[in-house]
Amino acid sequence: MIVRDLDISFESLAYGVADIGEYFSRYGQPDFTNLSRYLALMGITLATALWGTVFAFLVAFSLGPLAARNFAPNPVVYRVARETLNFMRAMPDLMLALIFVAALGLGPLPGALALGVHTAGFLGKFFAESLERVDKNVCEGVQSTGANFLQMVMYAGWPSILREALGYTLYIMDRNVRMASVLGLVGAGGIGMALHTTLRLFEYGQSAALILVILATILIIDYASAWLRRRLG
Amino acid sequence: MTPVSTWRWPTPNGLPPRSLIISALVLLCALWLTAPIVEVDFVRLFGSIGKMAKFAGQMYVTPDWHYVPQLLRKMLETIEMTVLGTAIAIVISLPLGILAAHNATPHLFVYRLTRDLLSLMRALPELVWALVFVSAVGLGPLPGVMALAFVTVGFMGKFFAESIEVVDPKAVEGVRAHGAGWLQVRLFAMLPQALPDIVGSVMYILDHNLRAAAILGLVGAGGIGYDMVMSMRMFQYDRIPLIALSIYLVVTALDRASDYLRSRIIHGSRKSTFAT
Repeated sequence: MIVRDLDISFESLAYGVADIGEYFSRYGQPDFTNLSRYLALMGITLATALWGTVFAFLVAFSLGPLAARNFAPNPVVYRVARETLNFMRAMPDLMLALIFVAALGLGPLPGALALGVHTAGFLGKFFAESLERVDKNVCEGVQSTGANFLQMVMYAGWPSILREALGYTLYIMDRNVRMASVLGLVGAGGIGMALHTTLRLFEYGQSAALILVILATILIIDYASAWLRRRLG
Repeated sequence: MTPVSTWRWPTPNGLPPRSLIISALVLLCALWLTAPIVEVDFVRLFGSIGKMAKFAGQMYVTPDWHYVPQLLRKMLETIEMTVLGTAIAIVISLPLGILAAHNATPHLFVYRLTRDLLSLMRALPELVWALVFVSAVGLGPLPGVMALAFVTVGFMGKFFAESIEVVDPKAVEGVRAHGAGWLQVRLFAMLPQALPDIVGSVMYILDHNLRAAAILGLVGAGGIGYDMVMSMRMFQYDRIPLIALSIYLVVTALDRASDYLRSRIIHGSRKSTFAT
């Protein structure tokens, strides 16, 4: 039923297998003549992801404790913080990037902002959930010294979840590198723009090279962050 | 005794761990170096707040109600793409998951090969594959579904393999002792045990795919993303709030549903283990 509604015909797909094979063979010879330019673009992409993660971390660092049931100063603040995080999480980052590009102009900055807003929703939720699991005795111990909200968060909250929080941040960084590599599609800088252009111009060799550069970077970041997280855990 | 400051970390000297300070310093250096690349300029950023406000004001017009039927149609298409892509991926990734679990794989070589294949498949984001598939099979939901299914197989195969790897070997041995064949052991001893885990990861993937499907339209691969980029390009800002709201509602609804289902499954499975 869904298939008919979407107007997809798998028969034509099956008949077209040969054509598709031919099509993919065009990616056979990656053209690395512009490699230094690609690497520079990848650098911009990585920098965008890093800044996006930092923005997200700053927002999540301040909103997380407010969205944790055991730390929030009162239930109204808790609900408001929770809903804010939910809303940030629900907005796709590419849509945010479209909006920020329209408002701020082309360049990597709107991309970093979009990544920051979207992933702050995720990171804030992760932080809040970890904070809610903090040992009650620790909280009571710090509370009995007469600590106020800020002191509670800084000395009972964050030290207890430090490892977890860093792990989550690394995971978000990982994810942001992936997303940053496609943000260029909406004009938010980085390698995605180049990929879009070469595909439009049917320069399959260059597209293949770009895809390989993205793939290699993502795999390296993947391994690096897995290694770091293992060290943390 | 020196008076103890109330602002101290729960470490012997009251300072945060040294490794943390060093990493923070390294990070600050990296940020300082990359700031010009990303064109982060706080003066400009604060200067542009006015521009942002003006821009937000443009969106704050009366929503274009005539657009609602088309919006619903597009949203339905997005949801259908999500469901279809996920369903195709489940069918493909179940056998791959068995091959990629080290206690169920026929040979260690197959295990390594499948694992590497899966990590390659999930390395690139959906949008990159959607771009490639759009230029291969043309515009429309088909390339979107293909891209979703492709990346999802990478993720789901890994999740399936991991949940098969943690099954209780005693049950597997019990079934094998009855003379069950290779396939029977996997189908009747391993899969039923891994099922609650698998349902949990399917819900997670569904959530992820819905978000992905909502933006695939940007490259012409069907779904609501196409309308989003078009109304941005044609300055029909009265549509943007409606699109944003509809995405928010659908994503939140699925989020709640999957939370509920997952807690039901975890609760249910705990109950059944207590009963036995």
